[in-house]
Amino acid sequence: MTTNTVAPADVQQTGKPILEVVDVTKTYGEGHTAVTAIAAASLSVAEGQFVSLLGPSGSGKTTLISMIGGLLTPTSGTIRLGDQVVSDMSKKELTNLRAERVGFVFQSSNLVPFLTARENLLYVASLPKKHSRKAAAKRADELLGELGLSDRANNVPEKLSGGERQRVAIGRALMNDPDLILVDEPTAALDTALGRQVVQLLAREVKQRGKTGIMVTHDLRMVEYTDQVFEILDGHLTKSDGTTLLDGH
Amino acid sequence: MMLAFAEIKRARGRFLSIIGALALITFLVLTLSALSDGLFYGSTGAYRSSNADGYAYSTDAEGSLIRSRVPVADAQKYGQIPGVTKASGLGVLLTSGTGPNGELDLAVFGVEPGGAGIPTTLTQGRLPNPGEDSAAAVDKTVVDKGATIGSTIKVGDRSVTVVGVTQDSNYQLQPTIWTTIPTWRAMQASVRPETRGLPPNYSAIALEFSNGTTAASIPPVTGTSVLSTDEAALAIPGVKEQRSTLNSIIYTTLLVAALVVALFFALIVLEKRELFAALKALGTSTRRLANTVMTQALVASIIGVIIGVIAARLLGLALPAQVPTLFRTESLIQISIFTIVASVIGALFSLRRIARIDPATALGGALQ
Repeated sequence: MTTNTVAPADVQQTGKPILEVVDVTKTYGEGHTAVTAIAAASLSVAEGQFVSLLGPSGSGKTTLISMIGGLLTPTSGTIRLGDQVVSDMSKKELTNLRAERVGFVFQSSNLVPFLTARENLLYVASLPKKHSRKAAAKRADELLGELGLSDRANNVPEKLSGGERQRVAIGRALMNDPDLILVDEPTAALDTALGRQVVQLLAREVKQRGKTGIMVTHDLRMVEYTDQVFEILDGHLTKSDGTTLLDGH
Repeated sequence: MMLAFAEIKRARGRFLSIIGALALITFLVLTLSALSDGLFYGSTGAYRSSNADGYAYSTDAEGSLIRSRVPVADAQKYGQIPGVTKASGLGVLLTSGTGPNGELDLAVFGVEPGGAGIPTTLTQGRLPNPGEDSAAAVDKTVVDKGATIGSTIKVGDRSVTVVGVTQDSNYQLQPTIWTTIPTWRAMQASVRPETRGLPPNYSAIALEFSNGTTAASIPPVTGTSVLSTDEAALAIPGVKEQRSTLNSIIYTTLLVAALVVALFFALIVLEKRELFAALKALGTSTRRLANTVMTQALVASIIGVIIGVIAARLLGLALPAQVPTLFRTESLIQISIFTIVASVIGALFSLRRIARIDPATALGGALQ
């Protein structure tokens, strides 16, 4: 397998930061029993950048990505996505934000088992308040074509291979043309070769479409496809220079 | 909508189980209700089809026409009470007779033509005229057993010719024939020799009231008591008990329907917790997921009810005529609506569970 499809250095400095995380803290509980899951984390990611977030289980990477994706509200600090302040939003606003501006790729694809690949894409297209059925159908077909799934479009997830399922999940994440794509351990359920393909595909889509992508992973082999690497350990976020990457892994 | 229907279509097996359960429940409830209605209508037709507003019985009869016996003179006494516009003697005899196709169970009603207590549900012919002692109108169930206008029906040594047909006018599940008081007396004397030689009496007195008068407002003649026609129907031995027993079974079964649906959707939601969390993370509102579940409950219960209705009607057609079932459209609609409402209420219980699913659990998976 060749790994030269992505050249991080070329794209690193494109555009203004789309995502800005400033001094974000998340604590659970109060007083003596308070547990700090994320301590004063800051990061910013520009358009067209694909970054990875590395950390062992329990390090807080899921908490951080959940706050960025509008699934959790930070205890303090600011999260900005484009012109919107995510950290101030109500639950309802967050639901709309996720539908319209965030694309998710989950660990185990989590496709709707009783919808076909194409319907899974159309379903998310129906979530934003404003949507056009016709435009959605066209976009779903285009995306499935690009992802090499045209002939699998009318199969339910059960009839798809693990790699195909993750590709459908990527299509679903791109369907509503989001600004931010959050990817949670996309290779957890795949073997190395397939995992590489999926991550390469993700990196390519993020770049070509000028999205901002964050991938949570603990798989060091996937880091080479990303532009920046952040490490998180016991709730503390640091930008990695590529030398200290999680000793022992 | 997309999720609701796609799941019913593609996960058909699981929905067939809930549809099947609801179809069986609907079938059971409808059959019980048809039996309840059949028993009630078959028992009380003579009262419900009557033009009388109330009946006077002997006090010790507790509202039973069979046990009641009132002196002939009481009819006149009732006729003089203000508010009573008509007071007519009524004679009742449960017996058997012979029709064109052989032996029949019969309830013979002796009435005063033109008076109170005559059936108003004549569908063919006429009632006997005053003094026409060899004629009778018969209930349609007698016609179903082979009689037609012009046939002869014999009770004891008396024969009557059928001159009319009434509908829904039976008494205690026995087909009625409506004849004159003298013919009733003659038949009674013929089949109940012990009544011969007693002073002439009636079984009860049928009353018609003027506007504003009720059974309760009539001062009863000594030795008698007055019931309204509705009360009289419920006073028939067993009627009230049958109805309340069958109705409580029906209501319990509807409760079971709600429970079955509640459990089914509780399981479905439990099983889909992970999927629902992911869908919420993708930006699906709780309301939309709730709509999905409610739509499914509604569709499953409507399909189940339709199948149950069809099955119950088919059973109704297959049942022999002796089984007193009556499938009334009104009961059918009512029960169908009740079953659907019970299902929807059952499904409502899973909404809280859906609301509690936290979209944040979609990330991190098993590692979290």
